[in-house]
Amino acid sequence: MHEMSLMGGVFEVLEQTLSQHDIKRVLQVKLKVGELTNAEPEALAMAFEAYSKDTLCEGAELIVERVPVRGCCRKCQHVFTVKTMFFLCPKCQNTSIEVIQGEELLLESLEVE
Amino acid sequence: MESSRREIEVMANLLGSNDVQAEVNRAHFRKNNCLAINVIGSPGAGKTTLLEKTLPHFTLDLRVGVIEGDIFTSKDADRIAVHKIPVIQINTGGGCHLDSKMVSKVLPEFDWSSMDLMIIENVGNLVCPADFDLGEAFKVIVLSIVEGDDKPSKYPVIFRNAKAVVLNKMDFELLTDVNMETMRHDIRTINPGIEIFEVSCRNGNGLQAWTSWLRHEVEAYKEDKG
Repeated sequence: MHEMSLMGGVFEVLEQTLSQHDIKRVLQVKLKVGELTNAEPEALAMAFEAYSKDTLCEGAELIVERVPVRGCCRKCQHVFTVKTMFFLCPKCQNTSIEVIQGEELLLESLEVE
Repeated sequence: MESSRREIEVMANLLGSNDVQAEVNRAHFRKNNCLAINVIGSPGAGKTTLLEKTLPHFTLDLRVGVIEGDIFTSKDADRIAVHKIPVIQINTGGGCHLDSKMVSKVLPEFDWSSMDLMIIENVGNLVCPADFDLGEAFKVIVLSIVEGDDKPSKYPVIFRNAKAVVLNKMDFELLTDVNMETMRHDIRTINPGIEIFEVSCRNGNGLQAWTSWLRHEVEAYKEDKG
């Protein structure tokens, strides 16, 4: 359940952002979570509920966007979606693949009033 | 009052504060010319046993320290301390992984004047520790083969992020249904560059290759002062 720690990170950023704006309450929080992380959306939702209690975020909707893993072949530069974590270039069968997407753990945006 | 509804773009890394502290830790290890590694594996895979069996070889000519991460107790630290190796136990009190701040807090407890190798043994868990950088040079997985050949494909994040995997309890190979071909194939598909060591901490088989490799890594780190 390291989603509690990750949510701690969300609220660190949230508090900082909220202190810079005049906000009555937060309506929506959008996260971007890469598939090459171990963050689980349901556990994130549970952690969000726990953290948001008695804050401006209480009752806000949490949206977790899963970001698929994309790789770039270091040999032929072909860019492709990595399925089931098999890091193999479909074009030239090379196994040296740079991950260019899918490792993000981001607080993307907020909707507030 | 629909008009008061607005969007604020943030785009901030959730691990921002962990990553910043991890870089501070990394700079500390670099400054002291000490290779730090993060050892990750399931409970019972043999992480502490691997250290017990191999660290005494290193301490003949290298200075080694150990940070033990566990939810409760100092049992692992006690096992390491028997070998006269400086060790600090971190108890996370329920936390499923170490983070860079916990590690940073205990760094002053060691004598850094001549430390060559710092081994951070994470909390037993193949999932959560994968996401938290501690400032180590690289991660090493300890997986016991009795856990099953399906584990690399079920926990790919950690296998993708590690430099080496120690497959322990090889002495059990014939007593289980584990398929070592599948195990090796899946590990290499997720991470083609990973080093694989097949060992038995119980009978000592394969440990020599692991210790030689780690010793080489310590030397390479010291030479690469960049």
